[in-house]
Amino acid sequence: MASPLEQFVNNVRISSASGNFRELYEMIGKSEEVLQRNTVHLNTVLETLDIQQHSLGILAVLLAKFSSPQGNDVDRSTMYQQIHDFITNCNGEQVRFGPDLYADLCHLLTDYLIEQKQPIRGIEILKKAIRKIQLFDSQLTSIHADLCQLCLLSKCMKPALEFLDTDVTGIGSELGGVNDSKHFLLYYYYGGMIYTALKNYDRALYFFEVVVTVPSMVVSHIMLEAYKKYILVSLILHGKILPTPKYTSQVVFRFLKPLSLAYLELATSQHAALKHREVFVRDKNMGLVNQVLSSMYKKNIQRLTKTFLTLSLSDVASRVQLSGPAQAESYVLNMIEEGEIYAMINQKDGMVVFLDSPEKYASPETLSILEQQMAACTKLHQYIQEMDEQIQMNPQYVKKAVGSHDEDMPATSQKSIAISTYSM
Amino acid sequence: MISNFDKLCGDLEKQELEAPNGVASSSTYAQLLAIYLYQNDLCNAKYLWKRIPQSITSSNPEIPAIWAVGQKLWKKDLAGTYHALAAFTWTEPVAHIIRALEERVRERAFNLIGRSYSTVSLDTIVLMTGLSREAVLQICRDKKWELHSDGVTISPTPPVQPSPLHTSSEDQLFKLTEFVSFLEN
Repeated sequence: MASPLEQFVNNVRISSASGNFRELYEMIGKSEEVLQRNTVHLNTVLETLDIQQHSLGILAVLLAKFSSPQGNDVDRSTMYQQIHDFITNCNGEQVRFGPDLYADLCHLLTDYLIEQKQPIRGIEILKKAIRKIQLFDSQLTSIHADLCQLCLLSKCMKPALEFLDTDVTGIGSELGGVNDSKHFLLYYYYGGMIYTALKNYDRALYFFEVVVTVPSMVVSHIMLEAYKKYILVSLILHGKILPTPKYTSQVVFRFLKPLSLAYLELATSQHAALKHREVFVRDKNMGLVNQVLSSMYKKNIQRLTKTFLTLSLSDVASRVQLSGPAQAESYVLNMIEEGEIYAMINQKDGMVVFLDSPEKYASPETLSILEQQMAACTKLHQYIQEMDEQIQMNPQYVKKAVGSHDEDMPATSQKSIAISTYSM
Repeated sequence: MISNFDKLCGDLEKQELEAPNGVASSSTYAQLLAIYLYQNDLCNAKYLWKRIPQSITSSNPEIPAIWAVGQKLWKKDLAGTYHALAAFTWTEPVAHIIRALEERVRERAFNLIGRSYSTVSLDTIVLMTGLSREAVLQICRDKKWELHSDGVTISPTPPVQPSPLHTSSEDQLFKLTEFVSFLEN
C-alpha cells in the first residue's frame, strides 16, 4: 500500500478513536487528491476500516472511489450495494460532521441510477439517507431534490409526499449559507411538479411560488421553468394569473416575463394555445396547457352560477361554448361531484337550478377545521418566535446591527448602543 | 377483509420499492393497481400503470384489464366502467378487490344522483349504476325515492349526511384553554 494512503488510514483511526471528527473532516478535505490518485487500492482501505467506528473515513473513500471519472478501472457494479450498506449502517452522528460529503455521495448514487434507468431502486435508500442526516423532520437537505427527481423519473410519486407535505423550517448546513442554491430550487421545482402530477394544484402553486420568489440577482433556468408552470397552474386553479408576492426579486419582472410571453398570452385568449403550440410542446407543457383549456369551461360554468338561478342545459351549453345539452349535463354533473358548484339538475325539463353553498358554517366539521387552523397558526407563531430568537443571537447579525448604528450615531454614544443591542 | 385495504396498499408499495432491480412481481402490480382504483386515487393508478414494465403488462392480461377499468373511471364514463368490470373474469387475489371496487363505484353513483338531480330518468340511473331496471326500482323503493306516475321519472332525495362526530366537552374545554392562554401570552 502506498504510504500517503497508509497515513490516511492511520489518521482516520486515531481521530475516530479520540472523537476529533472536526479535525478528521478537515484532514479528509486535504487528502482528497491522495485518495483519487490511488483508486486501485481503495478497496483494501475499505477492508481495514470499520463502518460504524470510522464512518467518516469510509464516506471519504467511497466518495473518492465513485467520483473518479468514467472509463477508469473502477468497478461500478458494486456501487449500489456498497452505498446501500453504508447508508444503512453508518454512524449518523459521525457523518453529520461532513454533510456535504454525505450529500455528494447521494448525488452520485442518483446520477448512477438515472444513467442505469433504474430510478425506482434509489427511492427507499434515499429516504433512509435523509432520515439519518436530518436533525429534525422539517429540515431540508440537498438530498431531498434527489429523492424528488428519482420519484418523478420512476413515475412513483407517493413516497416523496411524506417529505413534501412537511413544511420546511430549517435548512441543512450543506445546503444553506454561501452554497449553491441549485438543490434548493430543484427541490421546490420537482416538488411542484409532483404535486401537479397528482393534481394537488394548491400546493403545487405554492411550491412554484417559492422557486420564483427566491431572492436573486440573476435568473436561473430553474426559475424560468418554474415561472412558466406557475402561470399554468395558477390558470388551472384560479382562472387567472395570480400576482406574485411583493418580495419577488426585480429580475423576475425584468427577465422572466419577457421570456414567457406565450404563457402570459394564454390568460387573455384561448387562441394562444394554438398560436404558440410549438413553444408549449418544446417546453413539454402541452399537457398542462390542455388542462388549462378544459378548466376554462369549468370557470365559465362557475361564473354562470353567479348570474343565474336557473338555466336550461342548452343555454349552459351555448353560453360556455359546449357542443350540446348532453355535454353540459356531464360537465355540471362532474363539477357537482368535485364540489366545485352546488346545483340540481332537473332532467325531465332539462333545467339546472344553481344553489347556494349548503355550508352553514355551524357544523362540528367546521369547528374542527377551525380548531386545526388555529393550532397551525399557534405553531407557526411559535416557530417564528424561535427563529427570531436564533437570529438575534447570531453573532453576524448582532455585528451588523451594531455596525449600522455606528454609522448613524455620533461616536460618543457608540458604547451605550452596543450594550443595549446585546442585552436585547 | 375490505377494511384492511389501506394496510395492504402500504405493504404492496413497500414490496415494489424494495424489489430487486426495481421490478416487482405481476401479482403485486395487479393488486396495487386495483387498490388505487378502489381508493379512487386515479393519479397514482395512472402513474403505476405507466411504470409497470412492458414485459409484465404484455404477459399478464389481468393488468391491462384493470387499467381498462381505470381509464373509464378517469373519463368518468360510469356505464363504460361497469362494462369493463364485467368484461374480464378476475382471479384471486385481485377478484375480491374488484368486487369491492364495483360496490364502491355504485355507491358513489347513487350518492351523486341523489345530490345532483331533482328529477332523473330511470334510464340514466340504469346507465350510471350498471344495474337492471328491476334492481334500480327496488333500490329506489328502499331509498324512498319517488317514482312519478309516468313510470320512468324518479325524484331522488339527497343522501343523509353521516352523523356528526362527537367531541367530549372536556376535550373542547382543553382546546379552548390552550387557545386563550396563547392569546394572553
